[in-house]
Amino acid sequence: MYPVSSQKRSWTFANETLLQAFRVEQNTKYIELHKEEAQGREDYFLTPEEERLLLKQYEVYLADFCRRFEPTMPKCVVGTAFHYFKRFYLNNTPMDYHPKEILATCVFVACKVEEFNVSIYQFVNNIKGDRNKATDIVLSNELLLIGQLNYYLTIHNPFRPIEGFLIDIKTRSNMQNPERLRPHIDSFIDQTFFTDACLLHTPSQLGLAAVLHAASKEQENLDSYVTDLLFVSAREKLPGLIDAVRKIRIMVKQYQQPDRDRVKAIEKKLDKCRNQANNPDSELYKERLRRLYTDEDDIPADDASFHIADVSSETSTMNISQ
Amino acid sequence: MDEQACPRCKTTKYRNPSLKLMVNVCGHTLCEACVDLLFLKGSGSCPECNVPLRRNNFRVQLFEDPMVEKEVDIRRRILRDYNKREEDFGSLEEYNDYLEEIESIVYNLCNNIEIIETNKRIEAYKRDNREVIQRNKTRVGRDEYELEEMLELERVQEEARKKELEELELEHKKKKARDKQALIEELMHSGKDAAQIVSEFAEKAEKQREEEKQLPPLKSINEFSTGIKFGQTTDTTFLPVPKSEEGPLFIYEPLELITEGPMPPPPSDIEGMGYISHIRAETPQENAGGFTSTLACQRALQEALQCLYYTSTAGMAAGT
Repeated sequence: MYPVSSQKRSWTFANETLLQAFRVEQNTKYIELHKEEAQGREDYFLTPEEERLLLKQYEVYLADFCRRFEPTMPKCVVGTAFHYFKRFYLNNTPMDYHPKEILATCVFVACKVEEFNVSIYQFVNNIKGDRNKATDIVLSNELLLIGQLNYYLTIHNPFRPIEGFLIDIKTRSNMQNPERLRPHIDSFIDQTFFTDACLLHTPSQLGLAAVLHAASKEQENLDSYVTDLLFVSAREKLPGLIDAVRKIRIMVKQYQQPDRDRVKAIEKKLDKCRNQANNPDSELYKERLRRLYTDEDDIPADDASFHIADVSSETSTMNISQ
Repeated sequence: MDEQACPRCKTTKYRNPSLKLMVNVCGHTLCEACVDLLFLKGSGSCPECNVPLRRNNFRVQLFEDPMVEKEVDIRRRILRDYNKREEDFGSLEEYNDYLEEIESIVYNLCNNIEIIETNKRIEAYKRDNREVIQRNKTRVGRDEYELEEMLELERVQEEARKKELEELELEHKKKKARDKQALIEELMHSGKDAAQIVSEFAEKAEKQREEEKQLPPLKSINEFSTGIKFGQTTDTTFLPVPKSEEGPLFIYEPLELITEGPMPPPPSDIEGMGYISHIRAETPQENAGGFTSTLACQRALQEALQCLYYTSTAGMAAGT
């Protein structure tokens, strides 16, 4: 029930300016906290625009990762993972937590929440590079992620509303073969994932926008379906919907992929200014873990067989409390 | 009275006054010494009929005729299973038939007539009436328990009465001694006429005796008029019903469907207007789980229409 959900109450926002405000706030907060690291250099930290570009690039990676995932994942997992990713970076900056790590964690949590059953071993098989390290990172960030999501894990995706509209169109309108809309609908929804539409509009509006967009691609007109069947009893609400659909379509239309070279430069910058305490490759992180580890149990600090996954839960809880 | 003798070692009561004859399920006697000797390992066979016996089944022979012992034994064993009561039968005739059957079984077993067939009959009876037997067994157990409790109660009362009497007696004696002492002292020291003093004291004693008679023996009240003791529940086999805090009564309020959009079609329309024909039918497995295609269809339609009227309003904080 979306109308009474936490998604509507807490995670649907009024406009893009508001989202932008959140992101800038996170950015300023981080810079304030780590001022001394910059040693006076102006361009040491990422700007909010740079963060935005970086995250857009990582959203592309997220879509690629989900598309290539073995076994093939259902659409709703992808949608949920995107939601998590966007929500996480409303309350955090990529300088604190590298999007590469959060990306994998989002997909992993989404798999669980949407009941798409993969084990962590199956999961890391889809990741290139050191799989042990990936396991450590995903598991240690899992609790951090759901903590930052405020434990609101249920996501209302536009996929079921779309099914509802198609059933309704098949039943009540005289459109010929509505099934041919599907490819267009799917590609439109995939595009909305790269925008902030899911943080601004309801899943049913997203679904209707996708259906209307697909209809216009197929040279069909569903306007009479909307006005005469859906809104027949509430004509006065129609402008609001038309406005929402228009905004969604503009958002999708205006989306452009970030420039690869710029993103590379940003990533280089990020490697320097990121929070080293959360970088699994940094000495600081290892040192912190070791300290945690020895504090919790009385095991000698120079234990050679030290493994990060063993203390994953402790580190995550610590991150949350920060 | 014939001399009792052990059939194996021929010891008689005359030669060994402490002779104890034992009997087992087969009904053949042995003296205690022979039992100790033969059943050293705990089990063995009867020297007379070769029936395998256990040592701990030997009992002291109560009746002179060992066959009576055997019958008692058999009867006890049979009645353990044939434990129906008159209430379990529809008519008196059936109950009598049942009793007669028991008697014939006991007789057969005692006299070794059609042993195998009789045992089969018992087995069949046990199989057919397992539940009744079990129920009556527990009932017998409960009856015995109640009986024991009653006996215990009586014993306690008896003891209390005895103690009371003893105390009364003691008090009486003491008083008598005191009276006597007083009389003697009176006689010694006062200057009155001895005969007068004696008669005075006798009168006093008489008066007191009469007073005591009028006073009924004090009985401490420790039971209700129905005979139930204070603080003792009549049936200890039941636990008291736990007292539950009763909150305010539940008032049903019909669920309000918040749509913030056009009303979805009611469930009746989903089939009536043909919505259902556009989705796949549920599989038997799904149906077994309580899912129908109508539900799925209704949910999709509901979610499609929910919050279509939504327009962005005032800002909200992230994640709060």
